[in-house]
Amino acid sequence: MEIRAHTVSAGKAEGQALVYKGPFSFMGDLDPTTGKIPVPRHLLEGENLVDKVFVFTTGKGSSGGDCIAWMAKENGNVPSAIICLESEPVLSGAVIITGIPTVDRPEKDIFELIQTGDYVKVDATAGIIEIVGK
Amino acid sequence: MQLTDGEKRMLNGECAPGIQKAVELLVKLGDSFDAERLVPISYGHISYDLCPEDFWNLMTEGVPRTPHRVTTHPSSQPETFKAWGLPVTDQWVEEHARKLERFKQLGWLRTETCAEYLLGIMPQKGDIVSMGGSCMQVANNSLFGARVDRMGVLVSLAAAVSGRCPLMGLLLQENRYASHLVELDDLDVTDWTLSHYHCLGYYIGDQIPGFRPVAVNGLPPNLSFDFARALVISMPTSGAVTLGHVVGSTPEAPTLEAALGNRKPEQVIRVGKQEMSETWERLNVWDDDIVEHVSFGCPHATIDEIGRISALLEGKKLKTSLLIGASVSVEALARHQGYAGIIEKAGGHFLPVCPSIGNPFTRRDIAGHKQAKSAATNSARSAHYLATVSGVKVFFGTEEECVKAAITGRWKGEVPKWK
Repeated sequence: MEIRAHTVSAGKAEGQALVYKGPFSFMGDLDPTTGKIPVPRHLLEGENLVDKVFVFTTGKGSSGGDCIAWMAKENGNVPSAIICLESEPVLSGAVIITGIPTVDRPEKDIFELIQTGDYVKVDATAGIIEIVGK
Repeated sequence: MQLTDGEKRMLNGECAPGIQKAVELLVKLGDSFDAERLVPISYGHISYDLCPEDFWNLMTEGVPRTPHRVTTHPSSQPETFKAWGLPVTDQWVEEHARKLERFKQLGWLRTETCAEYLLGIMPQKGDIVSMGGSCMQVANNSLFGARVDRMGVLVSLAAAVSGRCPLMGLLLQENRYASHLVELDDLDVTDWTLSHYHCLGYYIGDQIPGFRPVAVNGLPPNLSFDFARALVISMPTSGAVTLGHVVGSTPEAPTLEAALGNRKPEQVIRVGKQEMSETWERLNVWDDDIVEHVSFGCPHATIDEIGRISALLEGKKLKTSLLIGASVSVEALARHQGYAGIIEKAGGHFLPVCPSIGNPFTRRDIAGHKQAKSAATNSARSAHYLATVSGVKVFFGTEEECVKAAITGRWKGEVPKWK
C-alpha cells in the first residue's frame, strides 16, 4: 500500500516502523550515544531508534535539537527515516542537516495504517510511503 | 524559491564555502515550508558553545567579517571551571577556545547572554531577526515585536553566516495573531512576584499545541518588563510557544482584538487558583528539605534582581553554593554598585552561563563528584531543566524563599495562598 506525503528532507530509506502517537524532540528524547529513548515513563522508554522508520506526530522542544541530531548522526544513532503528521522548523532543520529522509502531511491516517514492526519504505524525494509487510 | 542575484552567487559558492553551505541549508528548509524567498536579517544570535565544532567549521569556512551584527547565547566557561578545580577535559577547553577565536574573527559580539536587550542590543518592532535559543526567540518576538521564527541552533548559525533566513512562519503577519486565548479566572495578581509569572507561563506553555501564538488577557495594563519577560520565557519550556502576546502590555497587543487579529480564538484556556497551585507543586521535585545549590538568572539577571538579592545577603554567609547567571556587562554594573561584592562575600558567584541547562554546580558531567544533588530556583525554566538535564532535586519558590534557603541550607518555601 502507498501513501502520498510531503517532502521535508529528501532521500530514500526503509526499515521496521516504530510508531509513537506523540511529539518528539532530538533534545531529551534521544540519547545520541546509544540511539535509545532515555525518558523515564515515556511510552517508548528504552526503545532503539537506530535504523527504524520512526513515526510520530510533530516536533517540539529545545532549539538545540539539531545539535543533538548532528551528534547522534555522527555516532550512527539516528532513525533511517521519519514520518510525522506535521513537522516544525527545529525538527525540519535537524533532519535536513543530518540527511534523514523525512516526510510529513501524509494523505491517509498513518496511525491507523502503520503499526510498530511493519516494514516500511520511504521515498522522501518523491513523497511516497510504501507499507511493504505487516 | 526565488533567489536574488546576490543569493544565487552565495549558493554557487562565489562568496565562501561556509556561505554556500549555509544558503543550501536555508533554501532546503524554506522549500520544505513553501517559503517564496529568503529575506535579509537585521541581526543574528547564535550559540558557539552548543554548536559541535565540525559543524561550526563547515559553516564558517572562508567566511569574512559579516556586515550585520551577530551575538551569542550564554556560554559555558570551561577555563573558569578548570580553574575552580572541576574535572573538565583539556579537549573541551581547547575546542571552546578555537570556536571563540573564530567567532571574534568574524567580527561577532561576545555578548554571552540570553538578555542582550539589557545591554542595549535589541530589535525594533518589525525587524527580522534570526535566533537560536527558544527563550531569545519568544522574548524578542513577544516583548519587542521583532519577527523571529522558531529555528534550531545550527540553522541560526547558517542564518548568521549568510545574513538571510527563509520568509516563513512567524515572519509573516498572518501567522502572528493569537490562535489561543488565556483568561485569568478569579486571580488577584497584586502581590505576584517573578516566580508567580514564571508559574503562569509554564502552565500556559503546556496547554498550547505546537508553537501556536497565544494571547494572555486579564493582567494589569503596562505590566512591568520583568514580569512580562518571566511570563513569556517560561512558555517554550513546557511547550514550544514562540510568540506570547500580553494584552495591554506587549507591542502587538494593545487590545485583545489586535492580538487576535479580530478573529475568534480557536480555544480559550482559563487559569485559576487550582491550575496555579498544581503547576507550582509540579515544579517542586524533592523529598527532604536539604538544599545544596541556589540558582538565579534564568533568564539572565537584571541589575534590579541582583540589587534585591544583595540586600537580602548583606552580612550573611551562605550554606549552599549560589550562582547568578548574568552577562558580564550587568555583572560589571553590579560590581560598580557594590552589589557583587556583597554577594561574593557571602559566597555567591556570577557567570555568563545558562544557569538552567549549563549549570556547572549541578551538571554531573561538569562538576564530577562536586555535583550538588538539589537546587532551589525562582525560575520555572530553571526548575524544569535542573530536574531534566541535571537530574537533581528541585525546589521552586520566590526569590526571598530561595535566598533564605541559600543562607540556611533548608527549604521552607510554600505554595502561595492565591487571592
